[in-house]
Amino acid sequence: MKKPALLAVLAALAISVPSAWSQEEVYLQVTNPGLTSVVMALPSPLARPGGESPAAKTFADTLRADLEQTAVIRLLEPERERLVDVDPSQPALTRQRWRSVGAQFLLDSSVATAGAQLVADVRLWDLASGEIAYSRRLQAPTNLAATMAHTLANELVRLFTGRPGPFLSRIAFISDRSGAKELWVMRWDGSEAQQLTSYRSITLGPAWSPDGQWLAFTSFLRGQPQLFLLRPTEGYLKPLSTMPGVNSSPSFSPDGRRVAFAAGGDGNTDIFVADVETGTIVRLTSSRAIETQPAWSPNGRQIAFTSTASGRPQIHLMDAEGTNVRQLTFSDTFADEAAWAPDGVRLAFTTMVDGRFQIAVLDMRTGTRTVVSGPGSNESPSWSPDGTMLAFVSNRTGSKQIFITDAAGQPRQLTRDGNNTAPAWVTQLQ
Amino acid sequence: MDRTWKTPIILAVAAVIVTMTAACSKPKPVVAPEVRRTPQPGAAPVGAERPSVVAPEPDLAAAPLPPGGVATGELPRDLAELNRLGYLKDVFFDTDKADLTAEARDILAANAAWLRQHPTVRILVEGHCDERHTAEYNLALGWRRANAVKNYLVSLGVDGGRIDTISYGEERPFALGHDESAWRLNRRAHFVIVAR
Repeated sequence: MKKPALLAVLAALAISVPSAWSQEEVYLQVTNPGLTSVVMALPSPLARPGGESPAAKTFADTLRADLEQTAVIRLLEPERERLVDVDPSQPALTRQRWRSVGAQFLLDSSVATAGAQLVADVRLWDLASGEIAYSRRLQAPTNLAATMAHTLANELVRLFTGRPGPFLSRIAFISDRSGAKELWVMRWDGSEAQQLTSYRSITLGPAWSPDGQWLAFTSFLRGQPQLFLLRPTEGYLKPLSTMPGVNSSPSFSPDGRRVAFAAGGDGNTDIFVADVETGTIVRLTSSRAIETQPAWSPNGRQIAFTSTASGRPQIHLMDAEGTNVRQLTFSDTFADEAAWAPDGVRLAFTTMVDGRFQIAVLDMRTGTRTVVSGPGSNESPSWSPDGTMLAFVSNRTGSKQIFITDAAGQPRQLTRDGNNTAPAWVTQLQ
Repeated sequence: MDRTWKTPIILAVAAVIVTMTAACSKPKPVVAPEVRRTPQPGAAPVGAERPSVVAPEPDLAAAPLPPGGVATGELPRDLAELNRLGYLKDVFFDTDKADLTAEARDILAANAAWLRQHPTVRILVEGHCDERHTAEYNLALGWRRANAVKNYLVSLGVDGGRIDTISYGEERPFALGHDESAWRLNRRAHFVIVAR
């Protein structure tokens, strides 16, 4: 099988892009999509020598496309942009003009191509204060122009939210497009889908390790459903839990050392934790109810999970040691597939409304439960690493496909071939 | 596509085959409607790979005639063929339940009697679910169903060592529709004979 080129590129890029942004530099604390945003003017980059190259155009187009996807940055409308008379000899006056048409920030950039290298100088102006909020020189081989733009877009989002954007992130998922349910990975926008397994068996429920290097998943390749760890860049596979019966629903601890999962040899599934390094397995629950779908909280202290202890499946919460179990959802016909937002405050899950699956979001601070309804049945939520978007599965097109909610809360279809399920958005960005 | 209509047909076909087998004791190759998949290669770790322990042939004259009129020694040697005959009936479950209904208990009592009469037969009980829960919840629910069936068979005197269980959750539906007529067929424990 073809080596996953995308993963290799990302690994290489992660080294060359230092991320030096600290919490103090956060301009806005955005906790909900659509609530707070800034208006940014993004004029075409000033072309330096070689700045008209295809790579330069890819960079500019990709940056614009990325920023149009964010919840926090709204690009100045073209009709307003056209009102601004750009005078390179009077930059301060030009910035005032940008401000007068409604822009709060201005991203000034110039690009040049030197040999096989693309170089971009970028300055972000805070037009209210007249100060430079961000200044950066980016350099990459011309064939990585798009990746360079994604990197910049990520940093701009991080500047405003404290968390990097999703533009280099990947979504692992299960697809039957090859004829069997296999593990796949794609870019967050649905492009560059790559098949990671060819077991011709059943594969379920992938989960990323926090460093994005490992995928845990369930496979029937040896008969019974067992848990495996796959290192996609190397194709390295190792068993994680092969207890008799069912092994499923992995969720990594935030330090990446342990995996919570569901298993049960005696006919009833409970929550267990496996040590990734040693393989030691510890049992956390031992009730007579079905317990499955553990989700480790971002701070590592708690595990949300599904339990039928109250009769129907509901989301419960326990300390990571298995103690202090309490029920979180009560008003749902059922509640399953808990997914923590990176903020550790919001918990998305799958519920049922009028006979259809729908995604609900529970705010753990306020107890507010919001159903994010949509056409068809919608299930299996997974948050973007910046917590502003949700990936989910919907059958609204007649088959099961992966969608994300975009910046404006609008659904965007990522997959089309076969049935595609169980999206797992990488949890952190390197 | 709705395949639910095929189940009565395959039962009818099975009945016809049983009659034919009893009549000429020479199983014919039967092209059954493709109503369900055979277990995946490697999906059943039991059975085929295992050294088959062949018990001494039972004294047919002394043994009571099993339902269907075929003693172990006369069962088809080919497992696929044997499974097509449908000696062991599947049982069905209520929505989101792994409890055995009265009807399921009756079926299991008959299955248990047949298994007691064919003590060398080994089986795999597959737990299946409809699509109205999430995939991994259904894996847990299917596991519960398969083991509820196994435990009941054991309580009726069948050696638990002859029974393996697996959950397929909602991954291998029998009926492909998206309504109750399909769902009720998919909430089942399915019997597969893996060794005779």
